[in-house]
Amino acid sequence: MALHLILSASYNALLAILLYVLDKKTVLSRTPYKVKQTVIGILFGLMAVFATTSLGGFDIGDGTIMNVRDAAPLCAGLIFGAPAGIIAGLIGGIYRFVAVYFGMAGAYTRIACSVSTVLAGFVAALLRKFMFDDKKPTWLYGLGIGMVTEVLHMLMIFFTNMDDAVNAFEFVKICTIPMVIGNGLTVGIAVFVVSLIGRERLDAKKEQKQISQTFQRWLLICIVVAFVATSSFSSVLQTGMSEVQTNKAIETALSDVYQDILDESNANLLKKTESIKAEYTVGTDLKTLAKKYNVIEVNIIDETGYIVDSSEEAFIGYEMSSGEQSREFVTRLLENKETQYIQDYRPTSYDDVTMRKYGAIVLEDGGFIQVGYDSTQFRADIDKYIKNVSKNRHVGSTGFVAICDEEFNLVTYRSDFEGAGLKEIGITIDRESTSEGEIFKSIVYNSEYLCAYRFVEGYYIVGAIPVFEAMFMTEVSVYVNTFMEILIFASLFVLIYFLIKRIIIDNLRKINKGLAEITNGNLNVTVDVRSNEEFASLSDDINQTVGTLKRYIKEAAARIDKELEFAKQIQYSSLPTAFPKSNSFRLYAKMITAKEVGGDFYDFYMLNDSTIAFLVADVSGKGIPAAMFMMRAKTVIRDLAERGLEPDEIFTIANGKLCENNDAGMFVTAWLGILNTKTGLMKFANAGHNPPLFKRNGEEFGYMKARSGMLLAGMEGIKYRKNELQLVPGDKIYLYTDGVTEATDNNTQLYGEQRLLDFVNSLETVEPESLCKLIKEDVDKFVGTAPQFDDITMLAMNFDAILGDESISVVPGADSRDAVTAFADALSGKLEIVPKIATKINIVFDEVYANIVNYSRATLATVSYKIEGGKLCLTFTDNGIPYNPLTAAEPDITLSADERQIGGLGIFMIKKMTESMNYEYVDDKNVLTLVIALS
Amino acid sequence: MTIEKKINAEAATLIVSGRLDTQTAPELENELDAVLPGLKDLTFDMTNLEYVSSAGLRVILKAQKAMNAQGSMKLTGVNDSIMEVFDITGFLDILTIE
Repeated sequence: MALHLILSASYNALLAILLYVLDKKTVLSRTPYKVKQTVIGILFGLMAVFATTSLGGFDIGDGTIMNVRDAAPLCAGLIFGAPAGIIAGLIGGIYRFVAVYFGMAGAYTRIACSVSTVLAGFVAALLRKFMFDDKKPTWLYGLGIGMVTEVLHMLMIFFTNMDDAVNAFEFVKICTIPMVIGNGLTVGIAVFVVSLIGRERLDAKKEQKQISQTFQRWLLICIVVAFVATSSFSSVLQTGMSEVQTNKAIETALSDVYQDILDESNANLLKKTESIKAEYTVGTDLKTLAKKYNVIEVNIIDETGYIVDSSEEAFIGYEMSSGEQSREFVTRLLENKETQYIQDYRPTSYDDVTMRKYGAIVLEDGGFIQVGYDSTQFRADIDKYIKNVSKNRHVGSTGFVAICDEEFNLVTYRSDFEGAGLKEIGITIDRESTSEGEIFKSIVYNSEYLCAYRFVEGYYIVGAIPVFEAMFMTEVSVYVNTFMEILIFASLFVLIYFLIKRIIIDNLRKINKGLAEITNGNLNVTVDVRSNEEFASLSDDINQTVGTLKRYIKEAAARIDKELEFAKQIQYSSLPTAFPKSNSFRLYAKMITAKEVGGDFYDFYMLNDSTIAFLVADVSGKGIPAAMFMMRAKTVIRDLAERGLEPDEIFTIANGKLCENNDAGMFVTAWLGILNTKTGLMKFANAGHNPPLFKRNGEEFGYMKARSGMLLAGMEGIKYRKNELQLVPGDKIYLYTDGVTEATDNNTQLYGEQRLLDFVNSLETVEPESLCKLIKEDVDKFVGTAPQFDDITMLAMNFDAILGDESISVVPGADSRDAVTAFADALSGKLEIVPKIATKINIVFDEVYANIVNYSRATLATVSYKIEGGKLCLTFTDNGIPYNPLTAAEPDITLSADERQIGGLGIFMIKKMTESMNYEYVDDKNVLTLVIALS
Repeated sequence: MTIEKKINAEAATLIVSGRLDTQTAPELENELDAVLPGLKDLTFDMTNLEYVSSAGLRVILKAQKAMNAQGSMKLTGVNDSIMEVFDITGFLDILTIE
């Protein structure tokens, strides 16, 4: 049977493992919950159906098939989920109900079995949902639940067959232990192996026990103790009560029969005595009478109590008072004046061994007549009667009364059994050890019986009741009580546990969850558990504490913000905002800081009258460290630049310096340019910085293709490349940090280099300041509402003129006119030319330059001078359309004001103010040479 | 170049200083366009003017033409350099210089 049990249990365990593995490792894991639950429910339902068949169940030997059907819905519900449990229960239960029609299952336990299987599904569903938080229980719980559910099953079998209580009880008695253990083990093993496979903890052992576990443990202990106490108490009580009842049943039967026999025996002797007395009074002698009536003795006793006559001569003269047995007659008849007295069968006064029954009637002339006989004599008279007395007597419903004689030969038993010994039916009476009325056990025809006897008038009356009958009610009570208690205590356990869980554990979890969120930094969480006063107060305390904390943090944050703001201001103010005024170039730079302090910076400074250094850099990281590193980098670079080093040398040395004590591992990208305005030669170096945008005059913007070097402070011993670029007037350069190109919109798209390039090329020729502003606006437009993460730093420079000592190159236009005028003034100042001549020179510059600007469409114009033979020789070169001013018609200067044409005066004035004028068109250039006398 | 205006009913004096060249002439032209309508008497004070180029001459000529139609115009404080320019260009014949 044990093997059967294990086998049946293993089916469920196997199915559980299979489904569990499928669920975790295969496609089933992606199946929707509802479908999964239905499939699992159906499979376990089929398992319940299988258990119902003779194949899945096991025969306990007499045709009764036991099974672990209830285990299937329990496994489904507890391991996989409430819906699966309910579905499996319904399938198993309905099949069990219907199977009866096809003769596949017994009708006897039909309702109990089908209902309990359905219930098992619901029990599993409810427990999983409300007690185990929709998780799989531990295997011990599985075991317990399986067993308790089966107890319910057994109780239902009993209750649905109350009209056949004896058989129902027999059934329950046989099935209870194997089925309770079977189902319990099945569920327990299934949960256990699934836990093993899932590599979960098999028991709830942890460093610290959860409240719920401690609570469960103690609750379980209390409940088990209460269960054991009440069960044993009621068991003892029931047993005691049933003993009393059994004794009473036997005793009643015995005393009834006892009285009947005694009455009959007394009546028989009285009748005899009366007959003998009648004949004696008419003079018949005693001996004759004794013989006639078949008695042993007939005695006549006088008023004094002496035997005066007897059928036995030896008795004559015997004093009746001398023996205990005989004295009773004296007392009764002579002293108490009773008229008759029948004494029960007992040993005589003169001989302890001789048993005799006496009767006496008072004589009219004093004294009395006494008759005595022994059992053989009176049994002849009353045996027949006695048979009738006991024949239909029962003790309880299946017990009996038997009567036997002094030799233990049966006088009467259930059916006629006269003559047979009492021993032959299995009962032995030992008068020495067993007193009358005392209960003793005998085996009657293989059944255990409780027996008692009484002795009367030479008969032994034996009452017997089967132990089964005697104990039946006790056992039923004990079983039913125990079952009910198991159910009640299990329910109580679940209920109390559930209540505690709701009142304390769930609330604690809620509070813990809130605290966990707070710990993770979300101080806006409020804990709000108000189901009872204690938790409400705890919630309030927590909220208050968090509130205080929040306030402190806010204050601290405000202080830090203020300091950061201050740092930002310092950083900001370290950037130059006074842009150098030069006719050679126009420069503008701007840094728009993000919320946090960053490490961007730009810088520019005139190294001498004709050399400007300018750079843009970006320190890694943000915050105070980045800002401090930025200050350091800025100072180091400036320091080196002011020593007159080349850009590549500056970076090489700066890199070394910045690598020192750079424990924080910060680095900086930078682009540095040094421009000589006299020659237009720009030397530059790039340390890992974004390539600048460069626009050659007359062309479009493009990214500078020069190869970048390693970023600064990244690695010691780096050598930087030297780069040179010859600028021409009209060239433009735009430096920026990645705050521009990596500006991000709400869709995390980057502004990007291509967008920047397209944008700057879409612009008309603009001032550096406008360029910076327009780019910033475009970036803002792109970013939209997304916050600015990084500093945006940019520097733009328009190169306008090469300001040589004796020449100037410009882009002809209004913008460069000042540069040209300044050049003319400088020339006059340098040569110490008298004001009058200086004015001439100024006029000549103005006229020639105006012509180039207005008519030549040139993009480059150069003016140079030299002194030859005390004369100033000016050369104007432009790459515009060929035009020889010498061929221009002279205006008529004699006309009146109203007649004069406006225009044409310029070239005329040049001619008048110069000594000689020469024009050439060489190499696609107009070359105009003017000679002005200096004295 | 700077221009200082003194306007008294139909008479106006413009004190022009600095250089009257290609760059600055349009400024003076704008100024005159504003002052000229209904003006009977216009005086250019050139005491502090350094020189005049052809662009300046063009503006002065334009003013002279306008004043010929509605009143009179004169120039004061003209220095040698400017006088030479006026001379070269025949402006001395059409301008009233005091």
